Amino acid sequence: MARDTSMLSVEFYGLPALLAGRRRVEATAPTLRALVQVLAERFPALLGTVIDPSEGWLNRGYVFVVDGRFTRDPETELRPGTEVLLVAAQAGGVR
Amino acid sequence: MHGVHGRALVVDLASGTAQPFPIPDDVFRRVLGGTGLATWLLLRFAPPRVDPQSPANPFVLATGPFIGTGLTTSSKLAIATTSPQTGFIGDSLTSSYFALVLRRTGFDALVLLGQAPDWSVLLVEDDRVSLRPAHDLLGLDPEETAGRLRAEFGRDLRVAAIGRAGERLVRFAAVVNDGRLAGRTGPGAVLGTKRLKAIAIRGTGRFPPVADPAAVARAARRLAERSLGPETAKYRELGTVANLVFFSRLGVLPTRNFAAGSFPAAETLAGERLATAHRADRQACAACTVGCEHHFRTTDDGPATTVRLEYESLFALGSLCGIDDPNVVLRAAALCDRYGMDAISAGGTVAWAMECVERGIALPGDPAEWPRFGDGRSLLRTLEAIGERRSPLGDLLAEGSRRAADIVGQGSHAWAMHVKGLELPGYHPRKLRAMALGFAVTPRGACHNRTSAYEIDFSERAGDEVDRIALATARSEDRSAVLDALPLCKFLRHCFDDFFAEAAELLRLVTGLAESAEELRTAGERIVTLKKLFNLRQGWTRADDTLPERLLGPDGIDPAELEALVAAYYRIRGWTPDGLVPITRLHELGIDPLLVPTTSGC
Ligand code: SF4
Repeated sequence: MARDTSMLSVEFYGLPALLAGRRRVEATAPTLRALVQVLAERFPALLGTVIDPSEGWLNRGYVFVVDGRFTRDPETELRPGTEVLLVAAQAGGVR
Repeated sequence: MHGVHGRALVVDLASGTAQPFPIPDDVFRRVLGGTGLATWLLLRFAPPRVDPQSPANPFVLATGPFIGTGLTTSSKLAIATTSPQTGFIGDSLTSSYFALVLRRTGFDALVLLGQAPDWSVLLVEDDRVSLRPAHDLLGLDPEETAGRLRAEFGRDLRVAAIGRAGERLVRFAAVVNDGRLAGRTGPGAVLGTKRLKAIAIRGTGRFPPVADPAAVARAARRLAERSLGPETAKYRELGTVANLVFFSRLGVLPTRNFAAGSFPAAETLAGERLATAHRADRQACAACTVGCEHHFRTTDDGPATTVRLEYESLFALGSLCGIDDPNVVLRAAALCDRYGMDAISAGGTVAWAMECVERGIALPGDPAEWPRFGDGRSLLRTLEAIGERRSPLGDLLAEGSRRAADIVGQGSHAWAMHVKGLELPGYHPRKLRAMALGFAVTPRGACHNRTSAYEIDFSERAGDEVDRIALATARSEDRSAVLDALPLCKFLRHCFDDFFAEAAELLRLVTGLAESAEELRTAGERIVTLKKLFNLRQGWTRADDTLPERLLGPDGIDPAELEALVAAYYRIRGWTPDGLVPITRLHELGIDPLLVPTTSGC
């Protein structure tokens, strides 16, 4: 039986925000992997740079924050009201 | 051994003479080069407990084996000296053509000892040195200084210079070359003490031959391709300014002198907004395929200004001082560049002063001139006063937040946000346990990139238990030490699947050294330990490995948890509970052969 999907608040930061052209979006998806597919369809500009089209998953260097917890686990379950942030993995200076 | 010259040039500034100093292959095997070599040379040539502002404080510029090989992002100049801010090791890196040209002089490093009799430019042409009087250059900014010297001596000359902040011994003054600042820990003030306005260098020789030229060329091509992949897109497209809004969202953006972790006006300073409203151009360091350096232009009615901006300067001159106008931040960053001073320490010290004013604590000088949170004009005016050491206020703040709090007293140490005298970078440790540990223990003081420990906090490992956080922090610090020694840019680190194994293979192709991944990792640990030994000799005590008072408690990290993290880190390093390095650990790490006594007192 298909799982229920959920309304999510998704926020983009850094390059994902620049490519998507917005900070926030609402989406429905039961897992992070499903959410990546939704985002790939709605924001094709994310494909290649942020999302690997052949894997259907984030490129290395990008990470989700789900209710305050950093994760790259595609099977992470998403529930109604979950806050999801999508961001480039962080790095500071070089000196 | 391939890939190195095996010697440094030791310059006596008092006489303007120089001598070659042999560097055995074994030293390169143990510390690689770059920051590792610079640290070793500093230990060799500095007398114990050296005063950072005395002529006896050595100033070391070192290169590493990867420079000039064609490996992308490798053109990094390592600087080591005793920091006028901390009294401990001050090591900084800049990317530039200076490193390439230094390699072509036939030396791996320059060691500057003593003090020039009068303001001078040190001219190094292969193995010849001379001092050119510099009175005509005093007061010029670093870029103008370089321009004058290249016009006089030729375009193949490369220049590292100080600005007015270095001339006036501002403790966080930078050394600038090709527009890049080595600013953290204040090496520019050491050059100022030595009365050197600039070091100008010309190398006409060849790079030292590598062990397997064809394989190095192939590896360089592969690395260049990987450097253009998705792992570095964020640096190429947006740069580090992208961090600001995200950090505010997470509650880790230092705001109003670390009183808060979120800035209500963060969106006005957002990197994404700067990229659309203020973008000017993008540049790359010497020998780099990534090109992460983003320049932004002002859009207000004032004189047009274009300046390089990174997250660290954006936070330090923005949210930390309560400034929400991007044009003010850009002008403030340009002032720091022009005076040649570290933007993090400049912003951190001004934020300390702003909090003094907010709390009603009197600063020297006219109250109308005091800086206030959110007041852009007062920020710009105060930065100028610091860079010139103009007025009693500028003179006070040129000392940095720790010493300024010593002078002003009245409990103001409680909001002087430094570790070991170095102002904190843009990570509020409230929720960042690994970063808190990294700030506390790293030898150069509050530094984000000698451990890159924020990567642990910004990952699935954030909730790990204390021992695992401490282990990950130590290993991340080892990796950073290796990157700074080879050298390779830290922005390349995600382009490797298995960093130590792949870097060991590159090292073999360049030098012929057959180090395993674990041996390379140990080289990183050895470098970190050498820095620690330098600090111990300078009088380090356990009390130095801590955080500012404000961050110990509900607004930062539970002091007991920080103690546990530091204790675990010492255990992992094989140090005593007091943070001392046992002789047995020196043997295990193979450090003892590096500590041969010298006439200069190591
Ligand atoms: S990635 Fe950026 S900081 Fe690193 S070498 Fe290239 S331009 Fe310089």
